[in-house]
Amino acid sequence: MHKPEMPPGAMVLLILRVLHSGPLHGYAIAQRIHTLSSDALRVEEGSLYPALQKILLKGWVTAAWGTSETGRKVRFYKITRAGIKQLEAEASQYDRLTKAIQAILRTA
Amino acid sequence: MLRELLRRVHYLLNRRRFDDELADEMAFHREMADKSSGVPLGNALRLREDSREAWGAMWIDRLGQDVRYAFRAMRSSPGFTAAAVLVLAIGIGATVAAFSAFNMVALRPLPVRDPDSILRFGRHTAEQSSSRIPYPAVAFYREHTRTLSAVFAQIESGLSVEGAERSASTSFVTANFFEDLGARASQGRLFSVGDARPDAPPAIVLGPGFWASHFGSDPSVVGRSVRLNGQAATIIGIVAREFSGLGGDSPAFWALLDQHAYFVHGSQVLTDFSSGVAMWGRLAPGASPQMAEAELATLAAELRRQHPKDIWKDERLLSKPGGHAELLGVVEVFTIVGFLVLLILAVACGNLGSLLLARGASRQREMALRSAIGAGPGRLIRQLFTESLVLALMGCAGGLALGSLVLKLIMSWANGPTWLDPTPDWRVIAFALAMGVLSSVLFGLTPALHTARQKNLRKTTTFGRTVLIGVQVASSCVLLIVAGLLARAVERAAFADPGFEYERVIVVEPSLAEHGYNAARARTYIQDLSARLRGLSGVEDVSVTSTPPLSGLKIMAPFTRDGREFTVYIHQVDPRYLATMKIPLVRGRNLIEGDESAVVVSESLVQRHWPDGDPVGQPFKIGEETLTVIGVAGSARLLSPGDPDTVELYRLVRANDFPGLFVVARTSGPTEAMAPAFSQVANGVDPNFKPQVQLLKQRFEENVGDIRRGALAVSVLGVIALAVACLGVVGLVSYSVAQRTKEIGIRLALGAQSRHIVRSLTRQFWRTIIVGLVFGVLGAAGLAQLLRRELYGLSTIDPIAYISAIVLFILAVGLAALLPARRALRVDPLVALRCD
Repeated sequence: MHKPEMPPGAMVLLILRVLHSGPLHGYAIAQRIHTLSSDALRVEEGSLYPALQKILLKGWVTAAWGTSETGRKVRFYKITRAGIKQLEAEASQYDRLTKAIQAILRTA
Repeated sequence: MLRELLRRVHYLLNRRRFDDELADEMAFHREMADKSSGVPLGNALRLREDSREAWGAMWIDRLGQDVRYAFRAMRSSPGFTAAAVLVLAIGIGATVAAFSAFNMVALRPLPVRDPDSILRFGRHTAEQSSSRIPYPAVAFYREHTRTLSAVFAQIESGLSVEGAERSASTSFVTANFFEDLGARASQGRLFSVGDARPDAPPAIVLGPGFWASHFGSDPSVVGRSVRLNGQAATIIGIVAREFSGLGGDSPAFWALLDQHAYFVHGSQVLTDFSSGVAMWGRLAPGASPQMAEAELATLAAELRRQHPKDIWKDERLLSKPGGHAELLGVVEVFTIVGFLVLLILAVACGNLGSLLLARGASRQREMALRSAIGAGPGRLIRQLFTESLVLALMGCAGGLALGSLVLKLIMSWANGPTWLDPTPDWRVIAFALAMGVLSSVLFGLTPALHTARQKNLRKTTTFGRTVLIGVQVASSCVLLIVAGLLARAVERAAFADPGFEYERVIVVEPSLAEHGYNAARARTYIQDLSARLRGLSGVEDVSVTSTPPLSGLKIMAPFTRDGREFTVYIHQVDPRYLATMKIPLVRGRNLIEGDESAVVVSESLVQRHWPDGDPVGQPFKIGEETLTVIGVAGSARLLSPGDPDTVELYRLVRANDFPGLFVVARTSGPTEAMAPAFSQVANGVDPNFKPQVQLLKQRFEENVGDIRRGALAVSVLGVIALAVACLGVVGLVSYSVAQRTKEIGIRLALGAQSRHIVRSLTRQFWRTIIVGLVFGVLGAAGLAQLLRRELYGLSTIDPIAYISAIVLFILAVGLAALLPARRALRVDPLVALRCD
């Protein structure tokens, strides 16, 4: 079954958004995006982990070791103040962009 | 931004731990994903590497991997590695030697204290200029200047030494010279201000070269008394080898300018405005060269009020940096040398490139394997290029060692100044590294691209190798032809008739001006000396000149003809000069006494100035003067023997020229036997000093020796290039034989003749070699034009040099191609068909 591709840049936005509601580990982030999109978006580990490393370097999230629901030691990612700011900025920008695209799609 | 950078560094430093954490985390992800969906996941290692890429440190890891891999690959083929490093070391070594020589002479300042604040001064007005300044003026400037913290002056004279055949060069300097320049004595001490007091005993300092050659580096000479020009002086010390002075001279002795008149009888250099000394100044703290020039112009104007005749109107003292060696002609010479060594490097790179391509073909399987397990073309190119870079750096280290060694050998062979230090400095090391990286791009990039792409490998490989061989052929061909041209120039200089007698001529140099002779006294002296020499048995002819042959002294005047500017050498002589030097008079008449405005021109000048017409009776202008041509003499390259383009004219000496005259005499027998008698006669005219007596033959041989050394050096470069290029051709043909063993076997089995096989094997290279040769000949012609400006006697169109170089080249390359091709004929068809 064909899954729609994630637009470039959206991965960071989505990760930040799902972390905004609370710290999660990597697999849970993927799962959450999957369910929240009603199974439309599927996050591959090949794009999730590079994106996470990038966000860590930017200082938008921090990572801390915790225990998963299955009782395994795993890294939990937690959004930072800078991350929230980035999320707000990117979300509003994304909003403007989609509105503009939709306006064109409707009228043109 | 800064925080992000810090985090990156943190990741870089702890990358092993972070990598483990990431692996653990991704393993967890897999466990969970497996349970829920069972969707197959990608290559775990590959995914992890992608994630790590975000840290930005991957390249370090990759570089490490590649370098490790490169070393492993090199260890597995030590023969190839050794050959490659050797070829590269030769190529880079040649450029390194040339560059360090240039660095030593031109880029590094002189090894004196604070060289950047030293200025050399010369006199200038709108009309005239002079690099020498009268000593009384120097003393005046020294007394009044505020922008200069020290002023140095120097003058050179040749002094006779007991027990030495030739006169010893002596530099007379001011007493502050050594101290201010930070010179060190290796034995004893150097001059201090106290030595210049009028009552101080005469003292001299030895140069390290003369100390070694004349005194056998015996430390006990310090304190000993020697006689220079017959005057006693005490040796107070020996200058350390690393001291260069300022004038680029390495004199036998250093003496004090204040004592010039003590050693050189009659010298008036300290009081006379008509002679001059070299002057340097050290800028006072905070002063700029412009400030110094402005101040000295004011001082010159003030001095002119006291000495209106001796200081020129509107005279200015202009400065140039004094802390570097003089660069006359150095840049031009090194441009040529630079071209030649870059050609060697090009040959070496072309050679190595073909070696790598051949290796690339045999590594096809390995490359296929690597790309099958996920290496993209970029990754493969990077890896192959890293291997080249590692090779290049090894070659670079080898080249650095080889180049410095060669330079050291050349310097001891050519008797270079002792203060030049051939040890590589940071500039040389940086240059060698740059050459290494450049050559790795030249020889490594094309093979890397070809090997990694793997498309149509056989075809592109052959094409790439063809280009590389073409480059080698062209470059080594240029070197060979230039070497041939130089060899012919030597031959011409050594064996061709220079147009005058040099075997049996003796030159006597009395240096009358230095001994304070005025024009009238000098005239009497010269007449007396000439008469006495004429009286010696075995002397055939005696005459005078202001510019003795091959002495380096030249009087020149420019003239324009058809819009082109030429230079004519002016010989101020007496009527007997042409006869003494055996220069034939071909037309008109010779000069006679009183022919003040008459001139005899050379045949070469006639060809240049009156190509169709009789010059006799025609006017010829030199500066403001108009002279009348009365005769034509044979062309004689008296002043630069190698240059067939010189034009010369002869006119009578005037009364004022006498203090600067030389006496030349032709003998009937060998000059060596006559020299002592000449010395005895010359010393007797004025017992206060001893004129120098020199054999023209010796000067001629030295002159030829210089050109010969140059030609030898270029020939060595040419042979190296040829050898490397031949190696390349051998490699290329052997490779082609190895590749086509099967085909050759089939052909032989079907009854092909051996010459057909050889022809088919070598045919593909002939076109390349011919194209390379054509480019080589064109390049050599271009380079010869450039060389022509520096090295006279080099003919740009010398068919013998071109043809012999090309024939030698074709023979060598043909042999190099045939040797491996013959191996193809020994192929056993059965064995050939059975392989692969």
